[in-house]
Amino acid sequence: MNIAVLIKQVPDSTEVKINPETGTLIRAGVPSILNPYDHFALEAALALKKKHGFKVTVVSMGPPQAKAVVQLALALGADEGVLLSDMAFAGSDTWATSYALAKGIKKVGKVDIIFAGMQAIDGDTAQTGPGVAQQLGIPQVTFCEHVDVDGRRVLARKQIDGGHELLEARPPVLVTMIMGKDYAPQHPSFLAVNGSLKKPFHVWNAEDIGAEAQYLGLKGSPTQVSKIYPPPQRGKAAMFSGSGQEGVAKILEIMKSEHFTGE
Amino acid sequence: MASMDVISRNLMLDSLKEYAKRRIPYDLIRELDEKNEFPAQILKEMYDRDTLGVHLLMIPEEYGGVSGGTYDIYRVCEQLARIDLGIATGVFATFLGTDPLNVGGTEEQKEKWLKRIASENLLVAYAATEPDAGSDLVNLRTRAEHVVKNGKIAGYRITGNKQWISNGGVADMHTVLAMAPGGPSWFIVEKGMEGFSPNKHEDKHGIRLSNTAGLSLDNVYVPAENLIGMEEGKGLLQAQAVFGYTRVMVAAFGLGAGEEALEQAIRYSQQRIQGGGPLSDKQGYTHKLLVPNYVRMEGARSYIEFTSLRLDSGEHGLQTEGAIAKYGASEWGNKAADDAIQALGGYGYTKDFPVEKIKRDIKITCIYEGTSEVLEMTIYRGRWQEHLKSRGRYYMDQADRLDELHAKVPGAGAHAAALGLRALGAIMEECRVQKLTRHQHVTFKLGKMIAAAETAAIFSTAAAAEKYTETVRFDREGWQAMARVFAREAALSTCVEGLALVLGAADQAGNLADAVNLEAVQAEQKGMIADMDLVAAKLKQTFKAK
Repeated sequence: MNIAVLIKQVPDSTEVKINPETGTLIRAGVPSILNPYDHFALEAALALKKKHGFKVTVVSMGPPQAKAVVQLALALGADEGVLLSDMAFAGSDTWATSYALAKGIKKVGKVDIIFAGMQAIDGDTAQTGPGVAQQLGIPQVTFCEHVDVDGRRVLARKQIDGGHELLEARPPVLVTMIMGKDYAPQHPSFLAVNGSLKKPFHVWNAEDIGAEAQYLGLKGSPTQVSKIYPPPQRGKAAMFSGSGQEGVAKILEIMKSEHFTGE
Repeated sequence: MASMDVISRNLMLDSLKEYAKRRIPYDLIRELDEKNEFPAQILKEMYDRDTLGVHLLMIPEEYGGVSGGTYDIYRVCEQLARIDLGIATGVFATFLGTDPLNVGGTEEQKEKWLKRIASENLLVAYAATEPDAGSDLVNLRTRAEHVVKNGKIAGYRITGNKQWISNGGVADMHTVLAMAPGGPSWFIVEKGMEGFSPNKHEDKHGIRLSNTAGLSLDNVYVPAENLIGMEEGKGLLQAQAVFGYTRVMVAAFGLGAGEEALEQAIRYSQQRIQGGGPLSDKQGYTHKLLVPNYVRMEGARSYIEFTSLRLDSGEHGLQTEGAIAKYGASEWGNKAADDAIQALGGYGYTKDFPVEKIKRDIKITCIYEGTSEVLEMTIYRGRWQEHLKSRGRYYMDQADRLDELHAKVPGAGAHAAALGLRALGAIMEECRVQKLTRHQHVTFKLGKMIAAAETAAIFSTAAAAEKYTETVRFDREGWQAMARVFAREAALSTCVEGLALVLGAADQAGNLADAVNLEAVQAEQKGMIADMDLVAAKLKQTFKAK
């Protein structure tokens, strides 16, 4: 089987700050990372490669510097890397992005399973994976924690409220992955990083993948972000540790001092 | 060797950081430091080619390594130092021990030994120092005598003692400097060879996670093919050929450890409330303990990068530049770590906070790979020659170029740096005219002043550049302010220290104050406090309290 993994480079959200005056993200000096959900999707794909010998191709869309996440995936064991990069893609919402990614996957060739992270930590939409499935007209299984293959059957274990659901699908299928405990994000050795430079890596623009301008960028995006703003500041919080009894005593003490108890 | 692409380098650095986060928490480091214990397991993992393989950086690709350039090695050394300088030293010793092979080994020797180091994850030690031969290797006592069989030299018998050898007690293989009949030469000695034994692990002030031991060699037989380069008498040349970049590595240690200590202090200062506000808002605190130190460290960084990039572009030697890079980073790093303790007050003085350990560790960077005093001498010698050769134009020409740069980019402190270089040139000329370099103290002090004034020039040039390197974590406004603060401080100290030096050594100082243009240097100090305010704000913004 052939596997494609959709990955995205995102700013490390633990370091991103919002300028409270302008309401914009302060991205200067913030390191870029592989979206953590995508890292789990990649590890799930690489586990199948290890078990069944499948070929893994990673596909990303972004500016030229997004090559870094593709190269990371190659260093971790992916066989081929594709970066969709073109100014025509700029400003795309999840639907236009899904269109471009679907076009990119078609150019990759026959793909049986497409992995994607459940969502990206910068946008939190969880729409792009399903959008790609819709664009390609293939079934999708979302919020998976584990994926295996038995012959031509794709077996996905999915997390649902209060338990798990086992689903079976015939390829081609798209699955989105949560950050479950069956996979752990790995980091490549120096040798693997060096070796990744020798693996096939392609940068494709809109023309290369046969994407039409009307479906890309702002023009091809039915939604637009109007504003980003930080949540209103909450009141002061304090943490205490100790036994339950000590905790209750402490809470009562604070309630009294803050006049919650009417005393 | 050219450096790698930035993505590959950053992926390697990320892997190193992640490994340290997972496997080397501060509690473990603190325990090992307390017990004076070498973390053999961690080093083996770091050398494991499937886990990290950090030692492969020094080994060319054709022998199973990843062919790191000087810039890559500097970045990895800086990161290692941020983790623990003892562990960093363990890795560095392998880098260093591999050097004589890289520089002087025959093709067959590289094929055999470099491949083994790469694939068998060998820990290597570099054994040059002896009880009576430190920086001055001419006094080498360890002897290598011919063992002749059938009229041919079949091997050598090595006898002597080595001292303070990093990885000495734990290395699988040692490159040992010994006096052969044809002169000083490097030999490969393997662990377990008959007559070869490491002494006890030293109980050191710092870098206690690094194994340091003496070596006893009692008639140790090594086959002739273990003579590096298969030619006697090349040892000192092979050792000196790499000083440029081995010193860059130690410079990176000083930089990494020094900045790490300061960054911890900067974060702390935002949480510590005293007198109604955080310490980070108090000039008396920031402008004494944080700002000048961080500025000096960034100056050292720019000099390290300047030297690394030149080495990677194929220049050889660069002994004076390597010496300046190491001297600045280690001396200023030491001061930075000391002030970081002060910045944390009582907390900084306890072992609960890493700055206490960093302060002990970083001292070694002023000692190994050439003490600061040996470097002062090296720097002085290198540049004194240039001063004489150019008839005093050496620094004047550089200053002219800086002023041209200043005309184009006025905000990067290039004019202040130019004033510093001109003052330095004037002082050196006065020393020449009055023959003051007969005083050793004068020569060493000149070495110190050269390091500061040249670093100012390089820092200003880097801060004026259109594009910054990947390591600059500040915006243009912030980094240029740092360069201005550095250049002003360097220009003023060059004048003041230079005047004091000449006045103290000469019969007369004439109008030296005019020659160094003290008036212009004083005028250039205008705006210093405002710039320091700006730098303090940028530091707070970049290193937010966690």
